[in-house]
Amino acid sequence: MLRERGTVSASTPRSRVAISFGSPAGESGVTRLDLNEILIRNPQAAFLVRIAGSAMREAGIDDGDLALVDRALHAGHGQVVIAVYRDEFLCRRLCRQGEALGLQATDPEVAEVWAGEADTFDIWGVVTHVVKQVSG
Amino acid sequence: MFALVDVNNMYVSCERVFRPALNGKPMVVLSNNDGACIARSNEAKDLGVKMAQPWFEVKHLERSAGLIALSANFELYGDMSSRMMVLAARYAPRQEIYSIDECFLDFEGVRGDLAAIGRELRQQVLRWVGLPTSVGFGPTKTLAKLANHVAKTAERKPGTYPQRLAQVCDFGTLRSEELDDVMRRTDVGDIWGIGRKTAPKLHDAGIRTVLDLRRADAATLGRQFSVVMQKTVRELQGTPCLDVDDDPPAQQQIMCSRSFGSPVTELPDLIEVVSGFATRVARRLREQQAACNAVHVFIATSPYRRQDRQHSPTATLPLPRPTADTRALVNAAITALRGIHKAGYRYVKAGVMLVELQSTKQEQTSLELFDEPEAMQPDGRRDLMATLDALNERFGRDAVGIASAAKRSSRSTHASRQERRSPRYTTRLDEVLVARA
Repeated sequence: MLRERGTVSASTPRSRVAISFGSPAGESGVTRLDLNEILIRNPQAAFLVRIAGSAMREAGIDDGDLALVDRALHAGHGQVVIAVYRDEFLCRRLCRQGEALGLQATDPEVAEVWAGEADTFDIWGVVTHVVKQVSG
Repeated sequence: MFALVDVNNMYVSCERVFRPALNGKPMVVLSNNDGACIARSNEAKDLGVKMAQPWFEVKHLERSAGLIALSANFELYGDMSSRMMVLAARYAPRQEIYSIDECFLDFEGVRGDLAAIGRELRQQVLRWVGLPTSVGFGPTKTLAKLANHVAKTAERKPGTYPQRLAQVCDFGTLRSEELDDVMRRTDVGDIWGIGRKTAPKLHDAGIRTVLDLRRADAATLGRQFSVVMQKTVRELQGTPCLDVDDDPPAQQQIMCSRSFGSPVTELPDLIEVVSGFATRVARRLREQQAACNAVHVFIATSPYRRQDRQHSPTATLPLPRPTADTRALVNAAITALRGIHKAGYRYVKAGVMLVELQSTKQEQTSLELFDEPEAMQPDGRRDLMATLDALNERFGRDAVGIASAAKRSSRSTHASRQERRSPRYTTRLDEVLVARA
């Protein structure tokens, strides 16, 4: 649409300035890479969650990292999830043994949680990516 | 068929997505100054907390019944609402967003099992966004709204309606005696468009249930009450009188309206809001290569804030000549606003609508016929407007604009009491949800 407007008034120098400012795509139709498009498959189901603690370090998730969570995905065995356990949000790996569903930290010192009659948890979303601040 | 989709206890449900400890607890959300309850969980309703009830009247329930009160977090609710609306819009050809937590969908031309579609929609919104909704289907908007009431009430109070109508209720699948039964169980006061004052008058006239109303004579009631009442009765009888006010088709009108997070009273604040809207509609107007002949502005207080005095005026300002110039449209909108704003009212909504549109080509031809000095300038103006649009395209919407539309920094928004507000989990990076690892 922008290009159309440009061609209409391209005879005046001022509008040419406007075109060079205004059209990131240029004439080639190429657009700059956008992290939102690359990382977020379901924008309406996408949430950011701050990680506190080091129990998932072996999965590459450190204290202070920002996790990108997709609530649209079905959580499967081995996936890193955000779960609600005893009214608290936990970042854990989901695991399935037979019928049983459990939450495991990568730190073997941290107790596992297994869903049972007395104790249960809900999956809030699946962690798809982690953002780390490396410098700056 | 129409559907009405709405979120159950919207504000409460938004809070619970991020604070699961609130599930099952009696809780209310307080208005911006923590003065009144503007949302209640089912548990709070069961405690007898009324809609819009002043907080001081129920504060004692904090101790005696564990009632939890939170300050309204409109940034969060707005974002959750937009997620829900985008998902709902995928299910039907047309959507009308009716309020922050409800929308009409027009399923005209859609075949198949609508109740199944409704359940799928409900399931997706619940999974993706975390919000529980109720969905009602009916051949008119009034019936869709009634079906939604049935879906919601059947879930909340088992026994009031057949249990299979809970959550998703499609009137289209009911036999006529089943529909009669549902209407017999529903008081006329629960019907969309029938206010607290009208319901007792209907009762006096012997019309107690929705079934009574549907069997009444629309024309007689129209004379006795109002045109709105006549439409309501006809809609209950299955004759559509209300259409989905979708985005009007191009070349007719362009509108931008919004409800504010918190009430606005001061004229300068309203000027800022209205200027922003005018800037936006002006851009859409130019995208359509059109000009408009008049600017319509409205502001409104909240009918839900019953403690507030009500004032919901509108004004339409004709323009001296057709234009798509942001400055002219912003000026016209501000002029119209100055004419209708009254000090001391708490406005919660405003809108700008451009009316009587015509294509710009037409304008150029007609302008050539007139020899007015200003009419000879529009090329320069169009250039400026093209530059404006290009800069905004390049640097993001509202990067460049008219000064009166400048956004106040978020911190300067009128300091209201929000002592109990939860984090703005989805709109502020330093307030996102924290998960323990």
